[in-house]
Amino acid sequence: MKATHEQIFIIPDVLDKAISEVDSCLVKNNSKLSIDFKNCQFISVDGLEWLEEILVRADSKNINVTFCNLKPEIYKVFKIARVDVILKAIGGQTDFAPFC
Amino acid sequence: MVSSLEKNDVGLDLKANYLARQARLASAVFTQYTQEKVDAIVKAMTIAAIEASPLLAQKAYQETKMGVVEDKILKNLVACEFLYNQVKDKKTVGEINVLVDENIVEIAEPVGVILALTPVTNPTSTVIFKSLACAKTRNSIIFSPHLMAADSSNLTAKIMYEAALSAGAPKGFIAWIEKSPRLRRQTELLMVHPDVDLIFATGGTQMVKAAHSSGKPALGVGAGNTPVYLHKSADIKASVNDIIISKTFDNGTECPSEQTLVIDEEVSDLVISEFKHLGCHVCSDSEIEKLGNIVVDGRNKTMNYKLVGQDAAFIAKQAGFDVAENTKILLCELKGNIQKHKLIVEKLMPVLGFVRVDTLENGINRCLDVNYAGGTGHTSGIFAKDENVIKLFTNSINAGRIIVNSPTSIGGLGGLYNNLNTTLSFGCGTGGGNITTDNVGIKNLLNIKRLPHRKNFSVIFKTTKQIYSNPGSLSYLKELNLKNPFIICSQNAVKRGIVNQVLDKLPSSSIANVFSQLTGEPDWPCVESALAKIKEASCDSIIAIGGGSVLDLAKIVRLFYDHPQLKLSEIAISFLDFRHRMCEFPNDLTTKLIAIPTTSGTGSEVTPFAVLKDNNKHVKLSLIDETLLPDVAIIDANLTLNLPESITKDTAFDALTHSLEALVSTFASDYTDGLALEAMRLIIEALPKVLKDPCSIVNRHKLHNAATLAGMAIGNASVGLNHAMAHSFGAVFDIPHGLANSVFLMTTLKYNSQIPNKFMAQSNYPQWIADLKYVRAFEYLGLYPELSISVDYTNESFETRQKLILGLRQKIYDFARSCNQPLSVEELGISAHDYEKQIPSLIQTTFMDMSLRTNPGYPLMKDIYKLYQESYPRRVRP
Ligand SMILES: [Fe+2]
Repeated sequence: MKATHEQIFIIPDVLDKAISEVDSCLVKNNSKLSIDFKNCQFISVDGLEWLEEILVRADSKNINVTFCNLKPEIYKVFKIARVDVILKAIGGQTDFAPFC
Repeated sequence: MVSSLEKNDVGLDLKANYLARQARLASAVFTQYTQEKVDAIVKAMTIAAIEASPLLAQKAYQETKMGVVEDKILKNLVACEFLYNQVKDKKTVGEINVLVDENIVEIAEPVGVILALTPVTNPTSTVIFKSLACAKTRNSIIFSPHLMAADSSNLTAKIMYEAALSAGAPKGFIAWIEKSPRLRRQTELLMVHPDVDLIFATGGTQMVKAAHSSGKPALGVGAGNTPVYLHKSADIKASVNDIIISKTFDNGTECPSEQTLVIDEEVSDLVISEFKHLGCHVCSDSEIEKLGNIVVDGRNKTMNYKLVGQDAAFIAKQAGFDVAENTKILLCELKGNIQKHKLIVEKLMPVLGFVRVDTLENGINRCLDVNYAGGTGHTSGIFAKDENVIKLFTNSINAGRIIVNSPTSIGGLGGLYNNLNTTLSFGCGTGGGNITTDNVGIKNLLNIKRLPHRKNFSVIFKTTKQIYSNPGSLSYLKELNLKNPFIICSQNAVKRGIVNQVLDKLPSSSIANVFSQLTGEPDWPCVESALAKIKEASCDSIIAIGGGSVLDLAKIVRLFYDHPQLKLSEIAISFLDFRHRMCEFPNDLTTKLIAIPTTSGTGSEVTPFAVLKDNNKHVKLSLIDETLLPDVAIIDANLTLNLPESITKDTAFDALTHSLEALVSTFASDYTDGLALEAMRLIIEALPKVLKDPCSIVNRHKLHNAATLAGMAIGNASVGLNHAMAHSFGAVFDIPHGLANSVFLMTTLKYNSQIPNKFMAQSNYPQWIADLKYVRAFEYLGLYPELSISVDYTNESFETRQKLILGLRQKIYDFARSCNQPLSVEELGISAHDYEKQIPSLIQTTFMDMSLRTNPGYPLMKDIYKLYQESYPRRVRP
């Protein structure tokens, strides 16, 4: 039987680079990973790309990643960026045909 | 529009995806930027553009071999320095505008990812302009350069991007398609890419067309063909100078530049000699013929792109004749029907047509010929001092920019010669197949969110200024000092001696004229005959003595007497909300109106309403405006002492309906509530006593005051569903107004006390409270002791309220029965068959009745049908 470990990472105020702890968590095969955005005020293009990358890696290892404490400004960035895996992590649909 | 992926598109598709994806991420990140941060980025980009302007102009010329390097430098500078100057203080982030009067806040959002097509004629200045505009508006931009200018365009994009990036812009917000034979195809793929939000197309007609048919929102430009009218009132030397500056600017590559001059014959020789003097060549007929053959492509009758931006001597040589090396412009006189002349088309080179005209009209018409030869919506120019000429030209021409007494090319760019928005992208409106006639700029690259605050209307209470309310107050007439009053009354009032009483109360010097031809409710012919009489007598005032119909007639007669030019059809227009209605009433009536009611019902003496019967359509026209309010009301109960029982009852039930409807109206206020409640109490108290003792002046006085109080309530809060039904029903079956009201009273009381199927949409009625209002009536009338059911007063539950409302309905029922007042249609003796037959048309007129607008619930037609059905059978106690 596989143990269930949940690890929580708190994103810094500006997310613009990879966070090594998250990388090591993915290596350790924890089954759950929670990313806390409570301190995150700004997210850059690099930050988005990094998030996409770790989400793809987590997916391939069956690690369930969830986001919490997302401020509307950051949530809005995710909605506009339309990155499939990020949309999935916030529980949304990845089919982003525009609607009105 | 080609959009599907073809076999050899695979690599291209990946590239397009990459570009669009980078731009999308950047656009998402850009939404977090503040105005300060954006402005810092724009500033850094502008500095970089200014520094690079000479280099980029050189590169553009080397690559395209079009235009003049020095002018391209100028254009680059306009695109950065002028644009910066215009936009630096503009708000483009968050709250950008507060419309105080409208109470609306405007909030700017970026449009997202923009695919920008750039032209061969302005390959660097357009990129500078669009990059800066996108940075200022927090958009991402992908440039698709013209293949023949891709290197210089992309170099510009790179310089702008690097400057932006070092100032903190998001990675990837400027991107460009690399020069390759597949550039066009890649552009097509991006045009339909889901990550592209808007296409900003400046360039050839074909690409603009492709952008428009991509299915994406597109800001395109149209083709130009600028006519310029040189009117005889113009300063000739200055005009010619301006035209030369403009037409030679970058060798004529600017699309707003002059294409054909239309010159008043009187000054044409002077104009032409000035052109010659300043170094232009006036072509002979044979030279024009030769030029026509090479400037215009014979197959599609458009300009020859190989000559775009070349100098005059080169073009002449190509045509087969020589001119001096420094010749500025080749002038070609277009003779005959210019619409058929080869050279009437757009010529983005120093070849300029001209035509002489003998009149102003011909001048403007020839300009229209040029305008409609492929340049609608774009640019036009006029040189004149006569403002009327400019006005006439402006009204006639179809152009987004009408440049007056200045060069059209540099003038069109905006900033240097005028305050137009600086642009390299000229919106041409529908004339050019575009969505805007703007000098396209930052405002076109924003999604504006509008935040309208809920309207708060000021509540105004208005009524008749002077109200005399004691029995015997008719004697106050003497104090009013009326010299020449026009007395409007019914025949009945004459018979009952009331008119004589009035005449007795007038000063002996008064000369009164009496109009007593009204029978029943007033109609337009009746108004006209009264008007004829009052005009003949030149009266200074109107005394209306009678019931609601007489008072209404007097209000309308006064209005048309003071304003004979008014049209009934224009002031009796139905409306949804009186604050937005289209009819306008005058507000300067001078004839004094004294209203003396002889019935205790309509309250017309204090209301701004008047009803007129339309005999042809069997409907009633309602006129509503404060201007209809009488100046004086005399509420003398002595005048009601001889009123027959039926009229006493019907009018009292009209007043009771007024109070019940005003109370729950969506326009009710504390002021109208107080009046409505007290009116209701007085009627319930006094009517039975009056019916027992018709000569009881005390009770007649209470009833008379009650009607006026209820009138003041409806004068400000209006009525509701009951009146809408009574108006329709009364008009069809010819039933007196008060009686018609009473047959629907039990139906509408029940309907309005229940949570409506649909609420009335009105800004000033935020919450449905009709049931609470009825509860208040229950309490005010002191009905607790009469209630057989036990009620917990402290429990304001819905059930409790419904119990109290039932008590109120029972009270109204018992009251009506005690007065022998009919409460249903059947009780009026109307057959079920006749009634049923009329219901469909009654529904229509009820729904359109203005009284319905203030009802607390919004009944649908099917509800109104039910209400009419419920109102037929004899009532039983609720
Ligand atoms: Fe009424």
